[in-house]
Amino acid sequence: MIKVHVDMEKCQHYGQCVFEAPDIFKLNAEDRLEYLATAEDSESANVKAAADVCPMQAITITE
Amino acid sequence: MGGLRTAESLRRSGFDGEITIVGAEKYLPYNRPPLSKALLAEDKEFDSVAFKINTEELKADFVLGNPAQSVDIDNKVVVLSSNEKLSYDFLVAATGLRSRKMDFQNRVESGRFSLRTFDDAKRIRSAVAPGKNVVILGAGFIGLELAATLKKLGCSVYVVAMETTPLAPIIGELFGKEIQNRHEAEGVHFHMNNSVKDLIGEAFVTGVILGDGISLECDIFIEAVGSLPNTEWLEGSGLDNSNGVLTDKTLRAVKLDGGLIENFFVVGDIARFPYVNQQLPARRIEHWNIPIEGGKRVGREIANAANPGSVSDFDPREEFNPLPSFWSDQYNMSILSYGEPKIADEVGLLEGSLDADFIFSYRRQGKLVGAAGIGLRRELNKLRNEIYL
Repeated sequence: MIKVHVDMEKCQHYGQCVFEAPDIFKLNAEDRLEYLATAEDSESANVKAAADVCPMQAITITE
Repeated sequence: MGGLRTAESLRRSGFDGEITIVGAEKYLPYNRPPLSKALLAEDKEFDSVAFKINTEELKADFVLGNPAQSVDIDNKVVVLSSNEKLSYDFLVAATGLRSRKMDFQNRVESGRFSLRTFDDAKRIRSAVAPGKNVVILGAGFIGLELAATLKKLGCSVYVVAMETTPLAPIIGELFGKEIQNRHEAEGVHFHMNNSVKDLIGEAFVTGVILGDGISLECDIFIEAVGSLPNTEWLEGSGLDNSNGVLTDKTLRAVKLDGGLIENFFVVGDIARFPYVNQQLPARRIEHWNIPIEGGKRVGREIANAANPGSVSDFDPREEFNPLPSFWSDQYNMSILSYGEPKIADEVGLLEGSLDADFIFSYRRQGKLVGAAGIGLRRELNKLRNEIYL
């Protein structure tokens, strides 16, 4: 399993991560980011891509 | 950033050769967008903008504060400013941009600023204090983000720009006008259809003379008039580097005679790459996500070329066609744009209303080429897949 953390102080809810890892990140009805704090190893590449495209660089991954 | 993202992609694609990342700045790669926003507003330190680097995965040598001065493409050698030579099998040019500077008769330097690097941001921050008068030349995104941040820090802010409406050439007249309205509501003053003719002051800047003859007093003068590609090191190398470096649809550099250089790639702001679908000349795109997309593509391409067939899901015929995206935070406005609104021949308000949240659509010959707005994030994100470039 990998651990996913989003620094909500930095996050501006742009939702770019949603396109890279839609099973882990989503924008809710109020356009706010929601995410799963743990993910299967098979999601590793997607979550890394999500961290890369985050404009605020708010996503941290621990494997 | 382009260099880092390329190196990461190489490793994730199984490349096990040596990687050297050369940079002009003394810092490890960092994220520039916060420089005009949170870093400046909250006077944060370098750690807050440094990219997280997994050094074990990356296994790259960084050569910092030592920019490339030339390249010998035939002998595959890069010469650094220190005169040290680096030979290569594959070269990725990702040298980015620097701020464009105006040429004034008055050469006074103290009190004159621009913003591109971490050091630039720190210099501005140390000059800023509540009550200072700031003149910003340029009403693009950097100029306007600076205006918002400096206003928040208690400065009086004057924006001077040559166009009639801020951002109009990029996102259209109505959208730009609305952004100007919101800045004016916060107390920012605009001098549009105007220019800065010269600076006033001897030891330090005390004001500016505008094109229409008016003088504005100021303690801080910031030029936000765009950027220039750092491609001087490629002079005489036989590439088409008239405006960035021309590439083909795989980001390989194109020579003046039209030939391709198989082991020379261009990533990020300096890559002038062709459209896949639009009948328009190749263009550079100065958006944050372009080096990410380019680095990913080029890393996979090189890993596959170094060890043919090793990157199983990579198709070398696939054409580079990233979706340009940018965002901007000013006050409580959160602006997001996809595609290339500026190539549109038809702009329309798609959703929402101008005095609240809204989305504009940008079409060219009837097809969607861009979508941008304030708020309405999920609605805007739905349009991404329809954009045709």
